Amino acid sequence: MQKRVLLAALLAATALAGFGRHAGAADKTYIVGVSNTLIGNGWREEMICSIKAQAKASGIVSKVILANRNGGPPEQIADLRNLISAGANAIIVNPSSRDALNPVIKQAAAKGIVVVAVDQAVSAPEAYVLSNDQVAYGQRGATWLFEHLHGKGNVVEMRGIDGVPADSDRHEGFMAALKAYPDIKVVAMPFTGWALNTASKQIRDLIASGKQIDGVWTSGIDMVVPEAYQTAQKPFVATVGADNNGFIGQLIDWKAKGLAGVAVTNPAAVGGAGLAVALDVLQHKDRPHLIKLTPEVWDNTTDAGMAKLTSVHEQKLDPFYSVATQVKPYTTYSTADVVACAGP
Amino acid sequence: MSADDDDLTEGELTAGDLRGGGGGGGGVGRAPAFLRRNAPLVFMPALVIAFLALTGAIHPDFGAFDLQSLALGALPLALAAAAQTVVVLSGGVDLSVGPLMAVANVLAARSMQHVDFPTSLLLAALILLGGALAGAINGLVLVASRVPDVVVTLAAGFIWGGVALLILEQPGGGAPEAFLNLATGTSLAPWLPNAVLLLAAVVVAVWLPVSRSRLGLALYAIGSDRTAALRSGVAVERTRFLAYVVGGVFSAVGGLALTMTTGIGSPLSGTYYTLSGLAAVVVGGVSLTGGRGFIAGPILAAFVLTLIPTDLIFLNIDPNYGQVIQGTLIVLVVMGGGLATLLRQRP
Repeated sequence: MQKRVLLAALLAATALAGFGRHAGAADKTYIVGVSNTLIGNGWREEMICSIKAQAKASGIVSKVILANRNGGPPEQIADLRNLISAGANAIIVNPSSRDALNPVIKQAAAKGIVVVAVDQAVSAPEAYVLSNDQVAYGQRGATWLFEHLHGKGNVVEMRGIDGVPADSDRHEGFMAALKAYPDIKVVAMPFTGWALNTASKQIRDLIASGKQIDGVWTSGIDMVVPEAYQTAQKPFVATVGADNNGFIGQLIDWKAKGLAGVAVTNPAAVGGAGLAVALDVLQHKDRPHLIKLTPEVWDNTTDAGMAKLTSVHEQKLDPFYSVATQVKPYTTYSTADVVACAGP
Repeated sequence: MSADDDDLTEGELTAGDLRGGGGGGGGVGRAPAFLRRNAPLVFMPALVIAFLALTGAIHPDFGAFDLQSLALGALPLALAAAAQTVVVLSGGVDLSVGPLMAVANVLAARSMQHVDFPTSLLLAALILLGGALAGAINGLVLVASRVPDVVVTLAAGFIWGGVALLILEQPGGGAPEAFLNLATGTSLAPWLPNAVLLLAAVVVAVWLPVSRSRLGLALYAIGSDRTAALRSGVAVERTRFLAYVVGGVFSAVGGLALTMTTGIGSPLSGTYYTLSGLAAVVVGGVSLTGGRGFIAGPILAAFVLTLIPTDLIFLNIDPNYGQVIQGTLIVLVVMGGGLATLLRQRP
């Protein structure tokens, strides 16, 4: 018995030493800074958790420093400068502006810091950008909606935050899709601020206004739309959302009650993927400056779409989390680590 | 009633001290009284130094780069706080500071994108004039309609917020490098960010003439006790109006500062400055009921409030605690202020 314990201890010690050597072999450990300026948003939380999980999985990140508060470019510039000062080797930023962060990104690059913008693009040539193709995100969802309405009807475009790159890009895609359907009329275009309470009030107001609405496109604050129709005891309208777990649940559960809709993928795991790219660059591996993910479209009106929706729906996952918890081949963590939001 | 009378004397004395340049009648025996009366004047620099020392202790590498980060972060907030202070001293409150800053910000970024440096300065002057005008509208409506300050400025805030979006639908625009450099550069020494110089220059240029004139005295007087001020022959309505005009100028400078520090115009840039400016006013020892405090207090408080998220990043603590710490600081300062008042009223 005693011998066995000793053996186990020996094995553990060897494993630890081995792990230590492995970390040593990667030459050094890095400090990672994260800058996010939209808090209280499930998708952004998942993004941060995926960064932490990837940091843990990589084994070469010693610390993840989080600069996380509601703000705009002035606040984000301050946060980025502080992350530079705090000794970050890599900074993962979800940018609040395409251009305003460029000077500070340039300063970071001059100090040898790898800056990766995730989710949305920045125009600084020094930065790496890893994001969903947000133009395609807008266009693919809108095209499905307009097709579903047979090219005729009134739709609502529920946007994100005015002026941030992802919102502009998605709107561009939406408008591009709209061009091909002259009989589709956009009757309202509210900015939800990507906030549930705001979006919920807007859709309830729209329903109460008595306007004829045949379909709703959302920039990811999707669950509130079917919920509002349910509460108002009105028949559902075709709804375009993102791959949020709760919305996918609605698409599956309320299909029988007449809800038609589509989930357009926008993985929050771009955070972890961005970190993977940053670590590669820090280890002198050549990576392209622009990596775009093509969004997938999962509808509940076809058998193939339903099969996909059912397979990705995760009972245990937070309803506001995107079901795409991995961006392969970049992320190497276990999904459990994202859910636990565990970092190094 | 006797407390009111005391307040008025207080206001007169305070303004008088300002006019006398501070150290006028400073005998040794009067020093404790001076300290007690001008607690914010001593307390705030001490708080700033304490926070800087704390930051230095957390982050020993604190250097010129960090000092500049601090100055850049604090500049717009300090100007928002200054704008709010003038109005609060007069017994009002301006909830349109942030949106007005956004209007100045987008106007500057839109008009200055393709101009040279001298033209940008001219445009900046025009925007300051616009700020004064916007403040004047607030003041006029307030005085003429007798609707409370909160209501009028809240409505004005919504209007300016919309105007900012009309001027520039989404972030964009720009300004000449030399114009941005007025805040982002370090022209004299690496340890002396231009942002600090700009802030000092603006406050001296705008506030010194005001505080040294009859208007300064009248501001404190109507903030302390409007009825007593009226009875003493102070033009209450004109003073209220002028307080908003001066506040409008500070807000406009704040908007220009946003353009300088971000390099672009952003219609939503003012979102946080109304409330964080008010927070700086409270932390800076200016009484929200008016009539008491110094403009230096909120300006220094802006630096303290800017250092809080910085320290949290250096300490790697969840920055959401920043809000908690800021709130706690406000409560502590207000409680401290109450204690100081109690001490002062002790016979």
